[in-house]
Amino acid sequence: MTDRGVVAIALAIVAVPLVIALTDPHLSGASTALVVSTATGAIAAGALGLQPLLAAGRRIARHQLLGAIVLALVLVHVGALVIESPGDAWFAMSPDGPTRARMALIATIALVLAVALGVLRGRLRWHPTTWRALHAYLAVVVIALGLGHALLTDGALDGAGTAVLVALMALGLLGVPAAHLARARLRR
Amino acid sequence: MRRVTSLAIVLSLVTAGIVALLLDSEVSGTGAENVGESGPEHTDASRTCEATDSNPGGTNNYIPDAPARTSLGSGFVITGQVRAVDGCAPLEGVRVQVWLATETGGERDNRASVRTGPDGRYRIETDPTIPQFGEPNIHVGYDDGDYGEVFIRRVVDLDDERAVVNLTLARRD
Repeated sequence: MTDRGVVAIALAIVAVPLVIALTDPHLSGASTALVVSTATGAIAAGALGLQPLLAAGRRIARHQLLGAIVLALVLVHVGALVIESPGDAWFAMSPDGPTRARMALIATIALVLAVALGVLRGRLRWHPTTWRALHAYLAVVVIALGLGHALLTDGALDGAGTAVLVALMALGLLGVPAAHLARARLRR
Repeated sequence: MRRVTSLAIVLSLVTAGIVALLLDSEVSGTGAENVGESGPEHTDASRTCEATDSNPGGTNNYIPDAPARTSLGSGFVITGQVRAVDGCAPLEGVRVQVWLATETGGERDNRASVRTGPDGRYRIETDPTIPQFGEPNIHVGYDDGDYGEVFIRRVVDLDDERAVVNLTLARRD
């Protein structure tokens, strides 16, 4: 597939949750901060479903770029929630916060580590198997808990949004072994 | 082979840790039980004569001395009975503060003080609460000095018509 084709399909997949979220009545009358936090979360959800497929398709440069974008989106998502309501945001991230927030917190830590592994790949003198296993493990944690967080969250991605989130989670989780199989075939 | 084994052990332990962290949390946050109801209102509140505990997050967005109001909109009701720990008697004239996010504004904008009637009950109608932080939640607080302060955060479902929050207050010495 051409690079332009890959980018077009990627944008189309990312657009689905974003359009559903932005047109949901939940956001009517919402503050700018809440709209930004919802939009960044929705784009990140779509991107997470895509990430392993880019790796499976050996589009490594795109995969690295999207990884950095997802991390930035997550940071803006959290920052916007802190602006919306600092008390609620810090409470959510505290040990007394709800399960969905704890899932997000763990997913964010795993995302930072996955991106760090990507950045440090050349410098870490690890065995390639070790690096790949850890990166894949972190990817599974990010996709399962990041999209799980979105599923448990009431808001702009209920209804049709729920179906899209489940599909993205399946796409992402199946993409991880697909990337490994693609790599194994390449080496043969 | 040793590399694979040690990786498997490490990742199993990490997974166990993640699962433990998730199981340790409460779905809606610590102590935030679901108090939503629908259908006809009833008054057979479960009588609890033990002091109501504040729960974490109870003071989120609290601003002291909410204005006395009879309504914050329509479509949803926050109600409950206030009793004293001592004798479990209903308390009349106690000021209860409520605050919640609705379509017309956030928790810092939608706040009201209501007083309990002769039967110890308070009731205020509001616009339905919306899930700004992932789940519709409401706050009820008492902070007037005669009794120990109580700040609670509870959740409801999106299609609930009512939140029932009963308080049992302990007199301050």
